[in-house]
Amino acid sequence: MSEHCKEALEKLYAYLDRELDADSLTAIRTHVEECPPCGGAFVFEEKLLTVIRAGLREEVPQVVVDRIRAAIRTEIL
Amino acid sequence: MEPERGFEPRTYALRVRCSTPELLRRDAAGKHTPAPSAPVQGLLRVGLPFLAVADQADFEADAMQFAPQLYSAAMRMARNPTDAEDLVQETLLKAYRAYGSFQAGTNLKAWLYRILTNTYINKYRKDKRRPTESELGDVEDLYLYKRIGSEETAASSRSAEDRVLDGLVESDIKQAVEALPENFRVPVLLADLEGFAYKEIAEILDIPIGTVMSRLHRGRKALQASLTEFAQGRGLLPGENPKLSEPK
Repeated sequence: MSEHCKEALEKLYAYLDRELDADSLTAIRTHVEECPPCGGAFVFEEKLLTVIRAGLREEVPQVVVDRIRAAIRTEIL
Repeated sequence: MEPERGFEPRTYALRVRCSTPELLRRDAAGKHTPAPSAPVQGLLRVGLPFLAVADQADFEADAMQFAPQLYSAAMRMARNPTDAEDLVQETLLKAYRAYGSFQAGTNLKAWLYRILTNTYINKYRKDKRRPTESELGDVEDLYLYKRIGSEETAASSRSAEDRVLDGLVESDIKQAVEALPENFRVPVLLADLEGFAYKEIAEILDIPIGTVMSRLHRGRKALQASLTEFAQGRGLLPGENPKLSEPK
């Protein structure tokens, strides 16, 4: 594992969270495109994050939203 | 003319505008007539009591749209539907009562999540003791990824990875996140479910940004270890772990 790979791995989540500044972003993108092992890891982690995000969503029953709205209205009026 | 202490000019102008309809008076016949010209100070004094009403009337349009989103986070925090519903309701009621102190044009979503998080921590949190980072155990980076078998070609490796990602079901994800200790779970929810920036999470939780990053890092690694167990249980991972034997 090269120094570039180490750096890419350290910044993987900052990259996925869109928290990198423009310079780091370019450096990481360039490395990941040139390095298949890092590229593979980045693609997997990005997909995993999407799976996690989708899995955490909760379909709210309409009746619950209605009850909450009604409670807030009672307070407001 | 001196604005009343503590009011910024922008707020000041808004308050005058909000108060305008209330400056109409009824005459003896009940007909609306414009208020006679009065000193601005006087106008403000008339207008101010109506400010809260004007602002809070916007609350439903502005804040209630976040109710479904807040409920998703509340479910993963409180971990049961009854508490989640109470938590969202209490959050929105508190927000409504405090809406006058919310500065219009700033981050309403983050403000609501701050109230949600504080309400959860103060009232609904069951695990009062906060584990330290070291108690979470040290999980290596890319924990799940490294346990998926390497295939001969990049394309077949990809498909082995996709099998794992497709094979994990929603209940696995929910259980794995809910198993995280609260001080790791909440930052993970704010980032992974809600997509808040590190800076916003720091403000919502009132902790330094470095702490946000380290809790997110540790929390996500623990989450991966837990998801790996689910993947193993579903037979999605090979018995051997070829990627682990690769030289680092």
